[in-house]
Amino acid sequence: MSGAANPSANGMGSKTAPYMLILPAILFAFWIIGYPIYDLANMSVHSVNRFGVTTTFNDFNNYSRLFSHQLFVGMLVRTLIWTFGVVVGTIVLSVPVALILNEKFFGRQIARIIIMLPWAVSLTMMAIVWRWSLNGQSGMVNATLYQFGMLQSPIEWLATAGTAFPIEIAVGILVSIPFTVTVFLGGLSSLPSDIFEAARIDGASAWQRFRYLTMPLLKPFLNIVLVLNFIYVFNSFPLIWVMTQGDPANSTDILVTWLYKLAFRYGELGMASALSVVMFLILLALTITYAMLAMRNERRN
Amino acid sequence: MHKTGTRRVLSLLAGAAALVGMSTASDAATIRVVLGYYSAATQGLFEEMAKDYMSKHPGDEVKIEVIQWDNLQQRLTTDIAGGTAPDISMIGTRWLLDYVKNDIAEPMDSYITPEFKAGFIDAFLAPSTLDGKLYGLPIAASARAMYYNKDLLAKAGVNEPPANWDGVVDTAKKIKALGGDSYGFALQGKEIETDAYWYYSLWTHGGEIIKDGKSGVASPEAVAALTLYKSMIDDGLTEPDPTGLNRQDIERLFKQGRVGMILTGPWLRGQIKDEAPTLNYGIAPIPEGTTKATYGVTDTLMVFKSSPNKELAMKFLTETVFTPEWRIKFSKAEGFLPVMKEEAKAFADDPQLKAFTDMLAYAHFAPAVANWEQMVDAIIAALQKTYTGQSQPEPALKEAAATIDGLLQQ
Repeated sequence: MSGAANPSANGMGSKTAPYMLILPAILFAFWIIGYPIYDLANMSVHSVNRFGVTTTFNDFNNYSRLFSHQLFVGMLVRTLIWTFGVVVGTIVLSVPVALILNEKFFGRQIARIIIMLPWAVSLTMMAIVWRWSLNGQSGMVNATLYQFGMLQSPIEWLATAGTAFPIEIAVGILVSIPFTVTVFLGGLSSLPSDIFEAARIDGASAWQRFRYLTMPLLKPFLNIVLVLNFIYVFNSFPLIWVMTQGDPANSTDILVTWLYKLAFRYGELGMASALSVVMFLILLALTITYAMLAMRNERRN
Repeated sequence: MHKTGTRRVLSLLAGAAALVGMSTASDAATIRVVLGYYSAATQGLFEEMAKDYMSKHPGDEVKIEVIQWDNLQQRLTTDIAGGTAPDISMIGTRWLLDYVKNDIAEPMDSYITPEFKAGFIDAFLAPSTLDGKLYGLPIAASARAMYYNKDLLAKAGVNEPPANWDGVVDTAKKIKALGGDSYGFALQGKEIETDAYWYYSLWTHGGEIIKDGKSGVASPEAVAALTLYKSMIDDGLTEPDPTGLNRQDIERLFKQGRVGMILTGPWLRGQIKDEAPTLNYGIAPIPEGTTKATYGVTDTLMVFKSSPNKELAMKFLTETVFTPEWRIKFSKAEGFLPVMKEEAKAFADDPQLKAFTDMLAYAHFAPAVANWEQMVDAIIAALQKTYTGQSQPEPALKEAAATIDGLLQQ
């Protein structure tokens, strides 16, 4: 195509020219993304004091202290529960919402806007509102339950992990829905309508159309939503930090909230940078594995 | 044409360099002071101090910057790492240990006279003295006491505030017997200072957080101190589920008149005055167990070793900030305890403040050890496990003690 547009260019030049053109952008991206990762990795294998001054190489001591820390395994398990809980819950709820919003009905535009509005509110604000709503003595949730006579004495929703952690996962789902529904809606509107008509004429039921047409065609969008949500939720700090700070007794702490405590409360910058590297590698491994699985499936199909 | 352009640029650069040089020369007499935010009054108060100092020392300049306490430690850490530390900063006194260990704080002894040093109340100077050297001056001090709701106690038939823990339990039982949505004793169970709320009980039972270089949080006294709180929760003498309430939450309950007794600092007086002026309350010492105790906390003004103007910085502290005139203005505006003897005389006839200052003789301070924040979180975890019923006092405290001992050996 470039040959047609620019007949004087030889084969060599037309091949390298695009790469040369994007080279500055690539170098810039490497510098922006690569340097912090290098700096972090460097810090994670050295002794670091609380003022960020790195001294000697310390034989991966930061890593061994991290992995042998009595809280590490619990943090990892809770992070996975939190991530899978929020991502799976978000997708299970978002698909039907997107399907409904894709139908033609009166007020559909307004309904779409309402679904997307929470996206405009910062996570921190959302978390503060929920923290107040769930306050045992003066919160809206308990006040409502009192009104309906469903409560005799106040419930402190955020006082134990048994209620606090599921609530945090539920709020996590709530704030992830707008983005996920938007991606699904984009996907649904790009599906060709003729095959659905053909299926209807052939007598396929609504469930069959959903199961054998909509779902497979939405697969690429599902993949995007899974990977992006996984990364966002895995690293999501404000919800849990604002609502419980990982309390009581670390029972709602996940890796990223613990990371904050290690770095900025305890001044353990070495261990914190090691944990950052570990989290980066976990995400990288999961994303690559998932991308490979998805590509293999696509090829098989 | 091209050449003149180059020359013009060069001369511009030379001019700029001269300007920069000049400004650094005049900067030599400027000191930067970073402060933590106590209230809306903090900034104005220190601006006035700076103005007062500058009028007496023409040519010198004092720049004031006020920062939220939550961000202060991180901001200073970044500045120190980047080589742009201020000349003077306000810090939490317990941070001083790290600053001294990393050679960041300037010892003050050679800058001050013995008379100046003698002007301070000794108890408040001790926390910023490390290895016999003075590294900071206490700018704000607080001790803790028991606030009690006179009306609620009277309704329950108690006319004098309880002086010991048996009395607290007894009073709380009587308040509980009244029914309604009031609670006898407020217990803090989450976030900052959850540990402090238990230290009152620990110290009055004769325990120590760290004793002879080892953790004291699993001692029989400590277990007794925690068992007391746990039994009060179980008997419904506190608000339900304390792990859901932080310091502001329990203080709010007190301001609403729904709590009989609460242990906290002098700042609550100011809040009550503004938010619940009709509340009929009194202030009494922390209840006694086997002994008397309270928690003393100070914030410190320290001078950075990296400062090129240490003399000037110290002058600002000794000639302005720590003079009785400015100390009285500061304590009146911010509601803290007096730290200088001269200043204390101005508050001698304030009976409420007296309840706090009377406790000073028994004040315990947070131990000056490295890794303190990590130890605090281990203690809070043990308390929360006990309050939620996940664990018994003794095993929970033993776990925290093991963590603390490990941190002490680092």
